[in-house]
Amino acid sequence: MSADIVEIGADGVDVAAVVARIRKTVDEKIAAGVYADARIAAAERANLAQLKNDEQFAGYYLQCLRDAVYVDISDFEIRERRAALAPLLVRLKKAVWSLLKFYTYRLWSQQNQVNGLLVTGLESVDEKHTERLRALEARVAELERRLGAAPPPRD
Amino acid sequence: MAAPRSIAFVAPRYAEGATVGGAETLLRRLAERLAAAGRSVTFFATCARDHFTWANELPPGRREVRGVAVELFPVNGDRDTARFLARQTAIDRGETLDRAAQLEWLRHSVNSDALISRLRAEAARFDRILAGPYLFGLIYHAAQVAPERTLLVPCLHDEPFARLDALREMFASVRGCLFNSEPERDLAARLLGFDPRRGAVVGMGLEPFEADPTAFARRRGLSKPYVFYCGRREAGKGTPLLTDYLGAFRERTGRDVELVCAGRGPLDRRPFVRDVGFLSEEEKREAMAGAVAFVHPSALESFGIVLLESFLAGAPGLVHAAGAVLRWQCERSGGGLWFRHYPDFEEELALLLDDPALRRRLGAAGRAFVRREYAWPAVEARLCRALEDL
Repeated sequence: MSADIVEIGADGVDVAAVVARIRKTVDEKIAAGVYADARIAAAERANLAQLKNDEQFAGYYLQCLRDAVYVDISDFEIRERRAALAPLLVRLKKAVWSLLKFYTYRLWSQQNQVNGLLVTGLESVDEKHTERLRALEARVAELERRLGAAPPPRD
Repeated sequence: MAAPRSIAFVAPRYAEGATVGGAETLLRRLAERLAAAGRSVTFFATCARDHFTWANELPPGRREVRGVAVELFPVNGDRDTARFLARQTAIDRGETLDRAAQLEWLRHSVNSDALISRLRAEAARFDRILAGPYLFGLIYHAAQVAPERTLLVPCLHDEPFARLDALREMFASVRGCLFNSEPERDLAARLLGFDPRRGAVVGMGLEPFEADPTAFARRRGLSKPYVFYCGRREAGKGTPLLTDYLGAFRERTGRDVELVCAGRGPLDRRPFVRDVGFLSEEEKREAMAGAVAFVHPSALESFGIVLLESFLAGAPGLVHAAGAVLRWQCERSGGGLWFRHYPDFEEELALLLDDPALRRRLGAAGRAFVRREYAWPAVEARLCRALEDL
């Protein structure tokens, strides 16, 4: 990446150009699914409110939601860090887990079902609105073309 | 008009020692520069040091500090914190509060009747009263003492409080405003309908310094690269976001980068986070100089003192794109990059880690910019012009 850094004069760096280039790379990677990762969805919990005015907010938000939507209910290995009593504690934890398993699986499965329905619903609303918006933009562009008016600036 | 000779400053806290606060630091330094330039300066503040408890920790009374007459007064004891927080939460949620509720919020905010009485008694001898930041009951009431001679130093952020009618009226009633940056002035125009001709952009001067980039890591036994944050640790400043992002960065890229956090406030304790608490100026500068980047994820800044200090230390900035002021400082200085979301952050931090030459060049550009734009003579010239023109 450093070879592509945009130079200004002798020492300066055109940071706007650097950021623009990074954004382009990032947007391509997002489209390719490089950032489809539950860890990113979790890390974005404090950031989504900041993004709401961003043009690509809805798409990115839905991506985060998709990555975070399902609670992992697969079985897992029970471990113990304290070496001294490890075998005993592992047995105790396994016993507690076997008692709770039935109850928690039921809860988590229902939660996954609700989460899945919600994300599908949101995706459907987003798609519908995006399509309507595109159709309206196309109609406006067509009307402007007919009127011979220049299209208004986008920013 | 003749240059104002006698100036009063009003702030909720007097920034000294462990009292951290960008706005308070800015006001104190402006006061000291005006005093050094031969003007008569009085600084009114409360006895509080901690912005969470607002306990009266400093002794009340008058003393002379670097040519400034500092007068401290106790915070009102009848403050109903529960009512204040209830109103504050409602404002934060974006609820519309009627005027009575807004005034109740201000009444139970930080106030000092003793300070306001003293200011009222002394107001006639001041040519100008500089008061800030804008969102405290104390400043609201101070601005009513002599609005025709009051200049707000609002340190304005794009936040729900800035949309309250009572505060909009305060901005309309005072003589003018001293802003810290152009984006802050533009925000005041957009949010409050403030006429930019009644305001001036001043900012704060910063003394250039040299700092050893290896000293902090050596002293603290740090062997890994680190990013640095310094200031209040709270959601509004973006510190939870920073720990979440760096945690994800470490997991996804497998790179061992630490976060060194200085300042006060709660912090998400994770193995890669080093809480170094309150640092001396010298150690803070060394920590900045040795960092891969100074990360400032706050969207609510009117100036960005610590970012500019990190530029002076030669560290590149890595800031949130939603913070218009910090982004503006990075863009016009060429000293830092900005991110919208985690993917941008990952790419940019990886770039800074991989390219020390780029880091040096960003650092050099930031340093040159601060030395040019925020040298005290330049800031003093802007301040004096503003005092005369407004």
